[in-house]
Order: sequence, then C-alpha cells, then structure tokens
Amino acid sequence: MTPFEWVIVGIAVVGAFFGAVAAIGIVRLPDVYTRAHAASKSDTLATVLAVGAAALTLDSGLSTVKSVFLIVFLFVTNPTAAHAIARAARDQGIEPWTTGTEEGDDR
Amino acid sequence: MTDPDPVRLLVPVDDSVTLRNTVAYAVERASAAAADRPVELHFVVVTRTRSVSPDAPSELGDARDLLERVALWVDEDATEAIRPSITVDTDVIGVDRYLFSPGDYADTLLEYAADADVERIILDPEYSPGGAAPLLRPLEFELTRGDVTVEEASVDRQAKRTVLARAAPLSKYFTVFGAAYLFYLLLSTWKPLDFFTGFVTAAIVSVVLAPVVSGEPAAVRRTGGRLLRFVLYAVYLLKEIAVANLQIAYVVLHPDLPIDPKLVRFQAAVWSDSGVTTLANSITLTPGTLTVRVAEDGFEIHSLTEGAREDLFDGGLERAVRFVFYGRAAAVIPSPRERGDTGEGEDG
Repeated sequence: MTPFEWVIVGIAVVGAFFGAVAAIGIVRLPDVYTRAHAASKSDTLATVLAVGAAALTLDSGLSTVKSVFLIVFLFVTNPTAAHAIARAARDQGIEPWTTGTEEGDDR
Repeated sequence: MTDPDPVRLLVPVDDSVTLRNTVAYAVERASAAAADRPVELHFVVVTRTRSVSPDAPSELGDARDLLERVALWVDEDATEAIRPSITVDTDVIGVDRYLFSPGDYADTLLEYAADADVERIILDPEYSPGGAAPLLRPLEFELTRGDVTVEEASVDRQAKRTVLARAAPLSKYFTVFGAAYLFYLLLSTWKPLDFFTGFVTAAIVSVVLAPVVSGEPAAVRRTGGRLLRFVLYAVYLLKEIAVANLQIAYVVLHPDLPIDPKLVRFQAAVWSDSGVTTLANSITLTPGTLTVRVAEDGFEIHSLTEGAREDLFDGGLERAVRFVFYGRAAAVIPSPRERGDTGEGEDG
C-alpha cells in the first residue's frame, strides 16, 4: 500500500470510531436531548470522514465533486434535523434529564 | 375629556403600497366611532432590529419617519369636527426580539394590544411581516388567538394579486428550475436520458420548493468578503468540531458517564436570518451543545457538560459568526458572559 492509501484507511478508521461513539452514546445517554447530541455530532463527523475517505479514493473527477457536495450538505442538514427533533421534544413538554433526576426516571 | 372609555384602534404599519389608503380607512372608522366616544389611534411599526446591530439607528430612524408621515396623514384626513376627539399614538415595538414567522409578529402585536387595551386591530391588506410562505399560517389567522377583533382595511389595491403571485412570483419558479436543472446536468454524464430525468427532477423541485426559497436579495457588495471570511470560519469550525468530538467521545466512553445536562438560555448578538441560522447550526455541530429553539427571548441551548456551557458563554463561535457576516468591527462586541446574557434556564 502507498502512504496515500494509508491516509485513506486512517480517515476511514477514525470515521468508524466516531460512528461507534455515536451508537454507544445513543444507547448510554439518558434522554432524548442528550441522545440527540450523540446522534447529531459524532454522527456528522463519522459520516463526513467516511465520505471524505471515499472522495479521496475515487477518481478525482465527477464522483469526488459529488462527494464533496455530500459533505457540505451533511454539515448543513444534520444539525438542522437534530434541532428539529429537540425542538419537537421541547414543544411536547418533555423535560430534560438532569443529574438531580435519579435512575429509573429516564423516559 | 371626561367622556367614557375611548375607542382604541391598533394599526400595524409598514412601508406598503396600500399604507396611505389603510390610514385613510382607519381615520374613516375612527370618525364613525368618534361621534359619541373619543378615539385613540395607535400606529405601530414592528421592527426586528437588534440594538447591538450597527444598522439599528438608521432602521429605527426609518421607522420613526414612517410613523411621523402616518401622523401627518391622519391630520390631513380628519375633518375639523372630529379632530379634537381623535388622539394619535405611535410606537416602535419588537426591538431585540427574534421575530421570524407571522406567529411571532402576532404575539408582539397582541401583547401591545393587551397592554394598551385595544379593542380592534385594523390590518393593511398588504401587511405581511415574517413572510407569506405557504407553510406558515398567515398573520390574520395568528392574530385571532387574541381577544381583539381583527379587521382588514377595505382599500382598493392594484389588481396585481393572483393566486400564484401570493405563493411566489412566477420568475422565482423559473429561477429555481433553471438552477436545479443546471446543477443536475453539471453533475450528470450528459447522456440523453440525463436531460430528461434532469428536466423532471428540476420541475418537481421548482414546484415544491420555489415558495420557500428565501427571496432576500443578496447584497453583492458584501458577499465577496463574506464568502472569503466564511472559508476562514469553516476552518475554525472544523477545528472546533474535531476537538469537541474528542471530548464527547471521552464522556460517552467513560465508565461513569460524567454528564451534567442543563438547558440554558442566552441572547446572541447576531441579527440577521442567515447569521442566526449559521450560529444555531454551528452550536449544534460543536459537541456538547444543541440548539433546542430560537425564540423571541433568545437561544435555548441544551448543554451536555459544564465545560460545553463555559465554551458557549465565552462566545468564541458567536464572535466568529459575527466576523463572517458583519466584518471585523462587529467581532469585538463583548462575549455573552461579559454582557451578562447568560440566563440559566429554569432546570427543566
């Protein structure tokens, strides 16, 4: 493998790591708001890194351009979606979990 | 004047083509009522200016000029006989509140109506603050939530309104269609089929999305510098995202899950639609903070850890967004902590 390929593998692995963090976060965190944190941010970074690795792998032509567009759109739409979910939860009157609330009280 | 309770009419005004006629109509209504009770005419301009904005003085000045003009018109229209029983009140409201949708404007107007004990609101038919996107309920509807009578001034308006024009001008559909088609073809392989599928796709996109495309004319003069600064901002944001993601990974993977979530509220010193949107999305992207909503009374942020809250109030992001949209001068506005805008939300 060339050094360039090692870089690509590195990016993909880091992306996979953050994807795993997002998944673990969704399972471990206590309520809808904190889960939205995990689902929106680590997830964005993971996807962007994965698509970025793909963009570097592909022929540096049209497919790469498309991948770059994908990255840009992910950066715009992902936080918007997270915001919509959190706002919907707030409008439903769901109270955020705090350290004061004890176990068994989640949900 | 020791007469009974005066009749109070509220007329929200804006620089519209039918404003002059609306004022005339309001005076006519006032004259009809002035026979037995005194009349108070309240003209208000609802502005979305934020007092930290460098444009604030000129925007407020324009609003006051408009109100002065309106007061003159009332004087012109009122006959000698009823002039003594009409009082005119003008006011500028809505400063420093985030007003986006017609609903937000309705809230502000209704609040004023309740304070001033107004019994009837007269609407200029062309008055549509907060946009008339078909996804939003119009102002007339939102106002019916209050316990005041709402009436649309019956004035002659130029017969230019068609059903289509209400949603979006036809030119906008073509612009959106053209842009979408061009974009599709640029990314396609230029086969004959692509021209067909692109046409269909662009047609669907323009029909569905043209009404919600922002019609804000871009200030070309500013856009160049803004784009350049935006690139700098993107680099800064990527760095922030990377650092903060590591912190989140640490928190999530830590066996004890050391989180201390809390809702906080603060007033951000940004003042345009694109600025507020960029800041809200950037806050969401930087881990540890999540924009829950941007309401009239500021940003509501859910923060995961104490550290994330500290970063937020240090105002680095906010300053960077100001730098992008309003240039270097605006970046020196104090941080939320220094401004004392760190209203901790009630714990729930």
